[in-house]
Amino acid sequence: MAKEKGKTKANLLKGIINENPLLVSILGTCPALATTKTVEAALGMGLLFTIVLICSNILVSLLRKLIPEEVKTPAYIVIIATFVTMVKMFTNAFLPELYSTLGVFISLIVVNCIVLGRAEAYASKNKVFDSFIDALGMGIGYTLAIILMAFFRELLGTGAFTFGKIFTFIPLTKVQIIPKGYEISLFQNPAGAFIVFSIILAVIAFIKNRKAELVAYNEKQEKIRKLQEAKAQAAKVEGGNK
Amino acid sequence: MNMFISFLLAIISSMLVDNVVLSRFYGICPFLGVSKKVKSSLGMGIAVVFVILLATLICWPLYHFVLVPAGIAFLDTVVYILVIASLVQLVGLFIKKYSPSLYKSLGIYLPLITTNCAVLGVAQSNTDQGLTFLESLGNGLGTSVGFLLVIVVFSCIRVRLESANTPKAFKGLPIALIVAAIMAIAFMGLQGLFVGLGS
Amino acid sequence: MSQTENLILGISIVVFLLAIFVVSFVLFMKTPAPKGCEDIKISEENCSKCGKTECAFYKKAEEEK
Repeated sequence: MAKEKGKTKANLLKGIINENPLLVSILGTCPALATTKTVEAALGMGLLFTIVLICSNILVSLLRKLIPEEVKTPAYIVIIATFVTMVKMFTNAFLPELYSTLGVFISLIVVNCIVLGRAEAYASKNKVFDSFIDALGMGIGYTLAIILMAFFRELLGTGAFTFGKIFTFIPLTKVQIIPKGYEISLFQNPAGAFIVFSIILAVIAFIKNRKAELVAYNEKQEKIRKLQEAKAQAAKVEGGNK
Repeated sequence: MNMFISFLLAIISSMLVDNVVLSRFYGICPFLGVSKKVKSSLGMGIAVVFVILLATLICWPLYHFVLVPAGIAFLDTVVYILVIASLVQLVGLFIKKYSPSLYKSLGIYLPLITTNCAVLGVAQSNTDQGLTFLESLGNGLGTSVGFLLVIVVFSCIRVRLESANTPKAFKGLPIALIVAAIMAIAFMGLQGLFVGLGS
Repeated sequence: MSQTENLILGISIVVFLLAIFVVSFVLFMKTPAPKGCEDIKISEENCSKCGKTECAFYKKAEEEK
Protein backbone atom coordinates (compact mmCIF):
# COMPACT_ATOMS: atom_id res chain seq x y z
CA MET A 1 0.00 0.00 0.00
CA ALA A 2 2.76 2.39 0.97
CA LYS A 3 4.63 1.42 -2.15
CA GLU A 4 1.53 2.12 -4.22
CA LYS A 5 1.23 5.53 -2.62
CA GLY A 6 4.86 6.34 -3.34
CA LYS A 7 4.39 5.35 -6.96
CA THR A 8 1.38 7.64 -7.30
CA LYS A 9 3.31 10.49 -5.77
CA ALA A 10 6.23 9.94 -8.13
CA ASN A 11 3.80 9.80 -11.04
CA LEU A 12 2.30 13.11 -9.99
CA LEU A 13 5.63 14.81 -9.36
CA LYS A 14 7.27 13.75 -12.60
CA GLY A 15 4.91 15.98 -14.56
CA ILE A 16 5.71 18.92 -12.34
CA ILE A 17 9.48 18.67 -12.17
CA ASN A 18 11.41 16.04 -14.13
CA GLU A 19 9.18 15.86 -17.20
CA ASN A 20 7.65 19.31 -17.05
CA PRO A 21 5.88 19.59 -20.40
CA LEU A 22 6.84 23.20 -21.06
CA LEU A 23 10.22 23.66 -19.46
CA VAL A 24 11.79 20.25 -20.04
CA SER A 25 10.00 18.75 -23.04
CA ILE A 26 9.40 22.18 -24.68
CA LEU A 27 5.83 21.32 -25.69
CA GLY A 28 2.80 23.58 -25.93
CA THR A 29 4.86 26.69 -26.51
CA CYS A 30 2.20 28.59 -28.45
CA PRO A 31 -0.21 29.34 -25.57
CA ALA A 32 2.72 29.66 -23.19
CA LEU A 33 3.97 32.66 -25.12
CA ALA A 34 0.62 34.09 -26.17
CA THR A 35 -1.42 34.01 -22.98
CA THR A 36 1.16 35.05 -20.42
CA LYS A 37 0.70 38.80 -20.45
CA THR A 38 -0.86 38.68 -17.00
CA VAL A 39 -0.69 36.11 -14.24
CA GLU A 40 -4.47 35.89 -14.21
CA ALA A 41 -4.75 35.01 -17.89
CA ALA A 42 -2.01 32.41 -17.50
CA LEU A 43 -3.83 30.90 -14.53
CA GLY A 44 -7.05 30.72 -16.55
CA MET A 45 -5.29 29.14 -19.50
CA GLY A 46 -3.59 26.59 -17.27
CA LEU A 47 -6.89 25.77 -15.61
CA LEU A 48 -8.73 25.15 -18.88
CA PHE A 49 -5.78 23.19 -20.22
CA THR A 50 -5.65 20.97 -17.13
CA ILE A 51 -9.38 20.27 -17.33
CA VAL A 52 -9.15 19.22 -20.97
CA LEU A 53 -6.06 17.12 -20.33
CA ILE A 54 -7.64 15.29 -17.38
CA CYS A 55 -10.92 14.61 -19.21
CA SER A 56 -9.27 13.39 -22.38
CA ASN A 57 -6.76 11.24 -20.52
CA ILE A 58 -9.53 9.58 -18.49
CA LEU A 59 -11.72 8.90 -21.53
CA VAL A 60 -8.83 7.64 -23.65
CA SER A 61 -7.76 5.36 -20.84
CA LEU A 62 -11.32 4.06 -20.43
CA LEU A 63 -11.59 3.33 -24.14
CA ARG A 64 -8.06 2.03 -24.61
CA LYS A 65 -9.18 -1.53 -25.28
CA LEU A 66 -12.04 -0.51 -27.58
CA ILE A 67 -10.18 1.75 -29.99
CA PRO A 68 -8.47 -0.21 -32.78
CA GLU A 69 -4.78 0.43 -33.26
CA GLU A 70 -5.14 1.80 -36.80
CA VAL A 71 -7.61 4.59 -35.98
CA LYS A 72 -6.04 5.69 -32.71
CA THR A 73 -5.02 9.17 -33.77
CA PRO A 74 -8.37 10.14 -35.37
CA ALA A 75 -10.25 8.91 -32.34
CA TYR A 76 -8.06 10.86 -29.92
CA ILE A 77 -8.39 14.03 -31.97
CA VAL A 78 -12.18 13.81 -31.89
CA ILE A 79 -12.22 13.12 -28.15
CA ILE A 80 -9.96 16.09 -27.43
CA ALA A 81 -11.90 18.38 -29.77
CA THR A 82 -15.17 17.47 -28.06
CA PHE A 83 -13.83 18.30 -24.62
CA VAL A 84 -12.35 21.54 -25.89
CA THR A 85 -15.71 22.56 -27.34
CA MET A 86 -17.38 21.79 -24.02
CA VAL A 87 -14.80 23.76 -22.05
CA LYS A 88 -15.13 26.61 -24.53
CA MET A 89 -18.89 26.79 -24.07
CA PHE A 90 -18.65 26.64 -20.28
CA THR A 91 -16.05 29.41 -20.27
CA ASN A 92 -18.20 31.54 -22.53
CA ALA A 93 -21.14 31.07 -20.20
CA PHE A 94 -19.53 31.47 -16.80
CA LEU A 95 -16.30 33.40 -17.32
CA PRO A 96 -16.92 35.62 -20.37
CA GLU A 97 -13.92 37.83 -19.55
CA LEU A 98 -11.60 34.84 -19.63
CA TYR A 99 -13.19 33.75 -22.90
CA SER A 100 -12.58 37.09 -24.58
CA THR A 101 -9.04 37.37 -23.19
CA LEU A 102 -7.87 33.97 -24.36
CA GLY A 103 -9.86 34.15 -27.58
CA VAL A 104 -8.82 31.64 -30.19
CA PHE A 105 -6.30 30.01 -27.87
CA ILE A 106 -9.04 28.06 -26.11
CA SER A 107 -9.80 26.32 -29.41
CA LEU A 108 -6.11 25.81 -29.99
CA ILE A 109 -5.89 23.47 -26.97
CA VAL A 110 -7.04 20.86 -29.53
CA VAL A 111 -3.75 21.03 -31.35
CA ASN A 112 -1.63 21.39 -28.24
CA CYS A 113 1.07 18.75 -28.58
CA ILE A 114 0.88 17.86 -24.89
CA VAL A 115 -2.73 16.63 -24.88
CA LEU A 116 -2.37 14.37 -27.89
CA GLY A 117 1.09 13.34 -26.75
CA ARG A 118 -0.09 12.25 -23.28
CA ALA A 119 -3.06 10.40 -24.80
CA GLU A 120 -0.79 8.46 -27.14
CA ALA A 121 2.19 7.96 -24.92
CA TYR A 122 0.54 7.36 -21.55
CA ALA A 123 -3.25 7.08 -21.36
CA SER A 124 -3.50 4.52 -24.18
CA LYS A 125 -1.31 2.12 -22.22
CA ASN A 126 -2.20 2.70 -18.58
CA LYS A 127 -5.05 2.32 -16.12
CA VAL A 128 -7.63 5.03 -15.53
CA PHE A 129 -6.35 6.15 -12.14
CA ASP A 130 -2.74 6.32 -13.28
CA SER A 131 -3.77 8.30 -16.35
CA PHE A 132 -5.71 10.70 -14.15
CA ILE A 133 -2.72 11.28 -11.89
CA ASP A 134 -0.44 11.68 -14.91
CA ALA A 135 -2.77 14.26 -16.44
CA LEU A 136 -3.07 16.09 -13.11
CA GLY A 137 0.69 16.25 -12.72
CA MET A 138 1.26 17.40 -16.27
CA GLY A 139 -1.53 19.98 -16.00
CA ILE A 140 -0.19 21.41 -12.75
CA GLY A 141 3.34 21.43 -14.13
CA TYR A 142 2.24 23.29 -17.23
CA THR A 143 0.15 25.76 -15.25
CA LEU A 144 3.00 26.52 -12.86
CA ALA A 145 5.39 26.98 -15.77
CA ILE A 146 3.20 29.48 -17.59
CA ILE A 147 2.44 31.31 -14.34
CA LEU A 148 6.19 31.63 -13.82
CA MET A 149 6.50 33.20 -17.27
CA ALA A 150 3.52 35.48 -16.69
CA PHE A 151 4.96 36.53 -13.32
CA PHE A 152 8.08 38.00 -14.90
CA ARG A 153 6.24 39.44 -17.88
CA GLU A 154 3.63 41.22 -15.79
CA LEU A 155 6.06 42.36 -13.13
CA LEU A 156 8.60 43.80 -15.56
CA GLY A 157 6.13 44.90 -18.21
CA THR A 158 3.56 46.73 -16.12
CA GLY A 159 5.26 47.01 -12.75
CA ALA A 160 2.14 45.79 -10.99
CA PHE A 161 -0.01 42.73 -10.47
CA THR A 162 -3.68 43.14 -11.26
CA PHE A 163 -6.26 40.64 -10.05
CA GLY A 164 -9.99 40.58 -10.53
CA LYS A 165 -10.05 41.67 -14.14
CA ILE A 166 -10.66 38.19 -15.54
CA PHE A 167 -11.97 36.30 -12.55
CA THR A 168 -14.56 38.95 -11.79
CA PHE A 169 -15.73 37.30 -8.57
CA ILE A 170 -12.51 38.54 -6.94
CA PRO A 171 -12.56 42.24 -6.04
CA LEU A 172 -10.36 44.29 -8.37
CA THR A 173 -6.97 44.75 -6.72
CA LYS A 174 -3.78 46.22 -8.06
CA VAL A 175 -0.46 45.79 -6.33
CA GLN A 176 2.13 48.24 -7.61
CA ILE A 177 5.64 46.89 -7.10
CA ILE A 178 7.83 48.80 -9.53
CA PRO A 179 7.04 52.50 -9.37
CA LYS A 180 5.20 53.97 -12.33
CA GLY A 181 7.43 55.13 -15.15
CA TYR A 182 10.09 52.51 -14.45
CA GLU A 183 8.39 49.53 -16.08
CA ILE A 184 9.79 48.03 -19.29
CA SER A 185 6.82 47.70 -21.59
CA LEU A 186 8.84 45.53 -23.99
CA PHE A 187 8.02 42.60 -21.76
CA GLN A 188 4.33 42.99 -22.56
CA ASN A 189 5.17 42.76 -26.26
CA PRO A 190 5.78 39.49 -28.15
CA ALA A 191 9.54 40.06 -28.05
CA GLY A 192 9.44 40.07 -24.25
CA ALA A 193 7.74 36.70 -24.24
CA PHE A 194 10.58 35.19 -26.25
CA ILE A 195 13.19 36.78 -24.01
CA VAL A 196 11.58 35.60 -20.77
CA PHE A 197 11.14 32.06 -22.10
CA SER A 198 14.73 32.02 -23.33
CA ILE A 199 16.14 33.13 -20.01
CA ILE A 200 14.08 30.61 -18.05
CA LEU A 201 15.33 27.83 -20.33
CA ALA A 202 18.88 29.10 -20.00
CA VAL A 203 18.66 29.06 -16.21
CA ILE A 204 17.39 25.48 -16.32
CA ALA A 205 20.20 24.51 -18.69
CA PHE A 206 22.69 26.21 -16.35
CA ILE A 207 21.44 24.26 -13.34
CA LYS A 208 21.55 21.03 -15.32
CA ASN A 209 25.08 21.73 -16.53
CA ARG A 210 26.16 22.49 -12.97
CA LYS A 211 24.71 19.23 -11.72
CA ALA A 212 26.39 17.26 -14.51
CA GLU A 213 29.70 19.00 -13.79
CA LEU A 214 29.38 18.23 -10.10
CA VAL A 215 28.74 14.57 -10.81
CA ALA A 216 31.66 14.42 -13.20
CA TYR A 217 33.90 16.16 -10.66
CA ASN A 218 32.93 13.77 -7.89
CA GLU A 219 33.59 10.80 -10.13
CA LYS A 220 36.98 12.17 -11.04
CA GLN A 221 37.87 12.74 -7.38
CA GLU A 222 36.79 9.21 -6.58
CA LYS A 223 38.97 7.86 -9.37
CA ILE A 224 42.01 9.84 -8.20
CA ARG A 225 41.48 8.68 -4.65
CA LYS A 226 41.32 5.05 -5.74
CA LEU A 227 44.42 5.45 -7.88
CA GLN A 228 46.32 6.94 -4.98
CA GLU A 229 45.18 4.18 -2.69
CA ALA A 230 46.33 1.59 -5.17
CA LYS A 231 49.67 3.36 -5.45
CA ALA A 232 50.08 3.48 -1.70
CA GLN A 233 49.22 -0.19 -1.55
CA ALA A 234 51.80 -0.96 -4.18
CA ALA A 235 54.42 1.11 -2.40
CA LYS A 236 53.69 -0.73 0.85
CA VAL A 237 54.05 -4.09 -0.84
CA GLU A 238 57.30 -2.97 -2.43
CA GLY A 239 58.57 -1.69 0.91
CA GLY A 240 57.73 -5.03 2.52
CA ASN A 241 59.65 -6.86 -0.16
CA LYS A 242 62.77 -4.84 0.54
CA MET B 1 -11.85 47.63 -56.35
CA ASN B 2 -12.65 48.12 -52.71
CA MET B 3 -12.83 44.38 -52.25
CA PHE B 4 -9.48 43.95 -53.92
CA ILE B 5 -7.90 46.51 -51.61
CA SER B 6 -9.26 44.80 -48.52
CA PHE B 7 -7.91 41.50 -49.87
CA LEU B 8 -4.48 43.06 -50.34
CA LEU B 9 -4.57 44.70 -46.92
CA ALA B 10 -5.51 41.40 -45.32
CA ILE B 11 -2.51 39.74 -46.96
CA ILE B 12 -0.04 42.43 -45.93
CA SER B 13 -1.32 42.80 -42.41
CA SER B 14 -1.31 39.08 -41.65
CA MET B 15 2.05 38.54 -43.34
CA LEU B 16 4.15 41.38 -41.99
CA VAL B 17 2.36 43.58 -39.49
CA ASP B 18 0.72 40.88 -37.44
CA ASN B 19 3.09 38.05 -38.31
CA VAL B 20 1.78 34.63 -37.45
CA VAL B 21 4.78 33.43 -35.48
CA LEU B 22 6.32 36.58 -34.10
CA SER B 23 3.23 38.42 -33.00
CA ARG B 24 0.30 36.01 -32.91
CA PHE B 25 2.35 33.04 -31.65
CA TYR B 26 0.77 30.37 -33.83
CA GLY B 27 2.99 27.51 -34.87
CA ILE B 28 5.85 28.03 -32.45
CA CYS B 29 6.44 24.27 -32.18
CA PRO B 30 7.51 23.72 -35.82
CA PHE B 31 9.15 27.15 -35.79
CA LEU B 32 11.53 25.97 -33.08
CA GLY B 33 11.53 22.28 -33.96
CA VAL B 34 12.07 22.13 -37.72
CA SER B 35 14.35 25.09 -38.26
CA LYS B 36 17.81 23.63 -37.84
CA LYS B 37 18.38 23.24 -41.58
CA VAL B 38 17.28 25.65 -44.29
CA LYS B 39 16.12 22.81 -46.51
CA SER B 40 13.84 21.24 -43.92
CA SER B 41 12.36 24.58 -42.90
CA LEU B 42 11.62 25.34 -46.55
CA GLY B 43 9.82 22.00 -46.90
CA MET B 44 7.81 22.59 -43.75
CA GLY B 45 6.91 26.13 -44.81
CA ILE B 46 5.70 25.13 -48.26
CA ALA B 47 3.64 22.28 -46.86
CA VAL B 48 2.03 24.72 -44.39
CA VAL B 49 1.20 27.22 -47.15
CA PHE B 50 -0.49 24.47 -49.15
CA VAL B 51 -2.56 23.10 -46.27
CA ILE B 52 -3.61 26.50 -44.89
CA LEU B 53 -4.89 27.63 -48.27
CA LEU B 54 -6.88 24.44 -48.80
CA ALA B 55 -8.24 24.54 -45.26
CA THR B 56 -9.40 28.15 -45.66
CA LEU B 57 -11.05 27.29 -48.97
CA ILE B 58 -13.04 24.50 -47.35
CA CYS B 59 -13.68 25.71 -43.80
CA TRP B 60 -15.14 29.14 -44.60
CA PRO B 61 -17.95 27.90 -46.92
CA LEU B 62 -18.58 24.98 -44.60
CA TYR B 63 -19.14 27.33 -41.67
CA HIS B 64 -21.26 29.92 -43.46
CA PHE B 65 -23.34 27.66 -45.71
CA VAL B 66 -23.76 24.56 -43.55
CA LEU B 67 -23.06 25.10 -39.85
CA VAL B 68 -24.69 28.53 -39.42
CA PRO B 69 -27.95 27.80 -41.31
CA ALA B 70 -28.29 24.54 -39.44
CA GLY B 71 -27.83 26.32 -36.12
CA ILE B 72 -24.86 24.22 -35.06
CA ALA B 73 -22.15 26.87 -35.24
CA PHE B 74 -20.82 25.71 -31.87
CA LEU B 75 -19.42 22.60 -33.56
CA ASP B 76 -16.91 24.69 -35.50
CA THR B 77 -13.75 23.56 -33.70
CA VAL B 78 -14.57 19.86 -34.06
CA VAL B 79 -15.47 20.28 -37.73
CA TYR B 80 -12.36 22.33 -38.51
CA ILE B 81 -9.93 19.94 -36.91
CA LEU B 82 -11.55 17.02 -38.72
CA VAL B 83 -11.42 18.86 -42.05
CA ILE B 84 -7.78 19.81 -41.52
CA ALA B 85 -6.77 16.34 -40.40
CA SER B 86 -8.46 14.60 -43.31
CA LEU B 87 -7.11 17.21 -45.71
CA VAL B 88 -3.60 16.51 -44.54
CA GLN B 89 -4.10 12.77 -44.95
CA LEU B 90 -5.65 13.15 -48.41
CA VAL B 91 -2.90 15.45 -49.64
CA GLY B 92 -0.33 13.07 -48.21
CA LEU B 93 -2.03 10.14 -49.91
CA PHE B 94 -2.09 11.96 -53.24
CA ILE B 95 1.55 12.93 -53.04
CA LYS B 96 2.60 9.47 -51.94
CA LYS B 97 0.83 7.90 -54.88
CA TYR B 98 1.56 10.27 -57.74
CA SER B 99 4.60 12.37 -56.99
CA PRO B 100 7.56 10.61 -55.42
CA SER B 101 9.80 13.64 -55.85
CA LEU B 102 7.38 15.85 -53.96
CA TYR B 103 6.98 13.16 -51.33
CA LYS B 104 10.70 13.08 -50.87
CA SER B 105 10.83 16.76 -49.99
CA LEU B 106 7.48 17.35 -48.26
CA GLY B 107 6.37 13.87 -47.17
CA ILE B 108 7.82 13.84 -43.69
CA TYR B 109 6.41 17.23 -42.80
CA LEU B 110 2.82 16.62 -43.87
CA PRO B 111 1.70 14.55 -40.86
CA LEU B 112 3.14 17.17 -38.53
CA ILE B 113 0.86 19.87 -39.90
CA THR B 114 -2.32 18.48 -38.36
CA THR B 115 -1.14 19.67 -34.98
CA ASN B 116 0.30 22.94 -36.21
CA CYS B 117 -1.56 25.70 -34.38
CA ALA B 118 -1.34 28.00 -37.40
CA VAL B 119 -3.75 25.98 -39.53
CA LEU B 120 -6.52 25.66 -36.98
CA GLY B 121 -5.79 29.14 -35.70
CA VAL B 122 -6.35 30.69 -39.12
CA ALA B 123 -9.53 28.75 -39.79
CA GLN B 124 -10.89 29.62 -36.37
CA SER B 125 -9.98 33.30 -36.37
CA ASN B 126 -11.39 33.73 -39.88
CA THR B 127 -14.85 32.86 -38.68
CA ASP B 128 -14.48 34.30 -35.17
CA GLN B 129 -13.67 37.73 -36.59
CA GLY B 130 -16.44 37.48 -39.19
CA LEU B 131 -14.20 38.06 -42.21
CA THR B 132 -15.60 37.83 -45.73
CA PHE B 133 -14.51 35.00 -47.99
CA LEU B 134 -11.99 37.12 -49.88
CA GLU B 135 -10.59 38.56 -46.66
CA SER B 136 -10.20 35.12 -45.12
CA LEU B 137 -8.44 33.93 -48.25
CA GLY B 138 -6.12 36.92 -47.94
CA ASN B 139 -5.63 36.17 -44.27
CA GLY B 140 -4.81 32.53 -45.05
CA LEU B 141 -2.39 33.44 -47.82
CA GLY B 142 -0.70 36.17 -45.79
CA THR B 143 -0.42 34.02 -42.68
CA SER B 144 1.04 31.05 -44.47
CA VAL B 145 3.49 33.04 -46.57
CA GLY B 146 4.46 34.95 -43.42
CA PHE B 147 5.15 31.63 -41.70
CA LEU B 148 7.27 30.47 -44.66
CA LEU B 149 9.21 33.74 -44.67
CA VAL B 150 9.93 33.76 -40.97
CA ILE B 151 10.85 30.10 -40.63
CA VAL B 152 13.28 30.27 -43.56
CA VAL B 153 14.94 33.45 -42.28
CA PHE B 154 15.11 31.97 -38.80
CA SER B 155 16.72 28.75 -40.03
CA CYS B 156 19.31 30.74 -42.00
CA ILE B 157 20.29 32.52 -38.78
CA ARG B 158 20.30 29.30 -36.79
CA VAL B 159 22.74 27.65 -39.17
CA ARG B 160 25.17 30.44 -38.40
CA LEU B 161 24.46 30.23 -34.68
CA GLU B 162 25.76 26.66 -34.64
CA SER B 163 29.30 27.89 -35.07
CA ALA B 164 28.91 30.95 -32.88
CA ASN B 165 30.58 31.10 -29.50
CA THR B 166 27.56 31.28 -27.19
CA PRO B 167 27.60 30.82 -23.41
CA LYS B 168 27.14 27.17 -22.50
CA ALA B 169 23.75 27.64 -20.83
CA PHE B 170 22.38 29.47 -23.85
CA LYS B 171 23.44 26.81 -26.38
CA GLY B 172 20.62 25.50 -28.56
CA LEU B 173 17.11 26.67 -27.87
CA PRO B 174 17.66 29.67 -25.54
CA ILE B 175 19.86 31.57 -27.99
CA ALA B 176 17.46 30.69 -30.81
CA LEU B 177 14.67 32.24 -28.74
CA ILE B 178 16.74 35.39 -28.26
CA VAL B 179 17.11 35.55 -32.04
CA ALA B 180 13.35 35.16 -32.35
CA ALA B 181 12.90 38.03 -29.89
CA ILE B 182 15.14 40.29 -31.97
CA MET B 183 13.20 39.29 -35.07
CA ALA B 184 9.96 40.12 -33.25
CA ILE B 185 11.31 43.57 -32.40
CA ALA B 186 12.20 44.06 -36.07
CA PHE B 187 8.70 43.07 -37.12
CA MET B 188 7.22 45.42 -34.53
CA GLY B 189 8.71 48.23 -36.59
CA LEU B 190 6.43 47.24 -39.45
CA GLN B 191 3.39 48.20 -37.41
CA GLY B 192 3.85 51.74 -38.66
CA LEU B 193 3.08 50.50 -42.16
CA PHE B 194 -0.64 51.07 -41.83
CA VAL B 195 -0.25 54.47 -40.29
CA GLY B 196 1.49 55.48 -43.47
CA LEU B 197 -1.24 53.99 -45.60
CA GLY B 198 -3.80 55.96 -43.64
CA SER B 199 -6.12 53.07 -42.88
CA MET C 1 -35.78 23.40 -38.17
CA SER C 2 -36.43 21.85 -34.82
CA GLN C 3 -33.88 21.18 -32.13
CA THR C 4 -33.80 17.44 -32.75
CA GLU C 5 -33.29 17.85 -36.46
CA ASN C 6 -30.39 20.19 -35.81
CA LEU C 7 -28.87 17.72 -33.43
CA ILE C 8 -29.19 14.87 -35.90
CA LEU C 9 -27.73 17.02 -38.66
CA GLY C 10 -24.81 18.05 -36.47
CA ILE C 11 -24.03 14.52 -35.43
CA SER C 12 -24.28 13.28 -38.99
CA ILE C 13 -21.90 15.99 -40.24
CA VAL C 14 -19.35 15.12 -37.59
CA VAL C 15 -19.70 11.39 -38.25
CA PHE C 16 -19.38 11.98 -41.99
CA LEU C 17 -16.20 14.02 -41.56
CA LEU C 18 -14.84 11.48 -39.12
CA ALA C 19 -15.50 8.72 -41.64
CA ILE C 20 -13.59 10.65 -44.32
CA PHE C 21 -10.74 11.19 -41.92
CA VAL C 22 -10.56 7.56 -40.82
CA VAL C 23 -10.71 6.26 -44.39
CA SER C 24 -8.03 8.63 -45.61
CA PHE C 25 -5.91 7.95 -42.52
CA VAL C 26 -6.03 4.19 -43.02
CA LEU C 27 -5.44 4.54 -46.77
CA PHE C 28 -2.48 6.81 -46.13
CA MET C 29 -0.97 4.33 -43.71
CA LYS C 30 -1.51 1.42 -46.10
CA THR C 31 -0.12 3.11 -49.20
CA PRO C 32 3.49 2.06 -49.59
CA ALA C 33 6.01 4.83 -49.82
CA PRO C 34 7.31 5.47 -53.33
CA LYS C 35 10.60 3.99 -54.47
CA GLY C 36 13.62 5.59 -52.93
CA CYS C 37 11.73 7.15 -50.04
CA GLU C 38 11.16 4.05 -47.93
CA ASP C 39 13.44 5.02 -45.13
CA ILE C 40 13.16 8.79 -45.00
CA LYS C 41 13.47 9.81 -41.42
CA ILE C 42 13.92 13.08 -39.68
CA SER C 43 17.38 12.86 -38.27
CA GLU C 44 18.45 14.45 -35.07
CA GLU C 45 20.68 16.97 -36.78
CA ASN C 46 17.81 18.25 -38.90
CA CYS C 47 15.39 18.90 -36.09
CA SER C 48 15.37 19.54 -32.43
CA LYS C 49 12.30 17.86 -31.07
CA CYS C 50 8.97 19.56 -31.49
CA GLY C 51 7.10 16.79 -29.69
CA LYS C 52 4.78 15.92 -32.54
CA THR C 53 3.79 12.36 -31.78
CA GLU C 54 3.08 11.45 -35.37
CA CYS C 55 6.64 12.27 -36.39
CA ALA C 56 8.83 9.30 -37.22
CA PHE C 57 11.69 10.68 -35.18
CA TYR C 58 9.53 11.10 -32.10
CA LYS C 59 8.29 7.52 -32.36
CA LYS C 60 11.83 6.25 -32.60
CA ALA C 61 12.90 8.26 -29.58
CA GLU C 62 9.90 6.99 -27.64
CA GLU C 63 10.74 3.38 -28.45
CA GLU C 64 14.29 3.85 -27.30
CA LYS C 65 13.02 5.14 -24.00
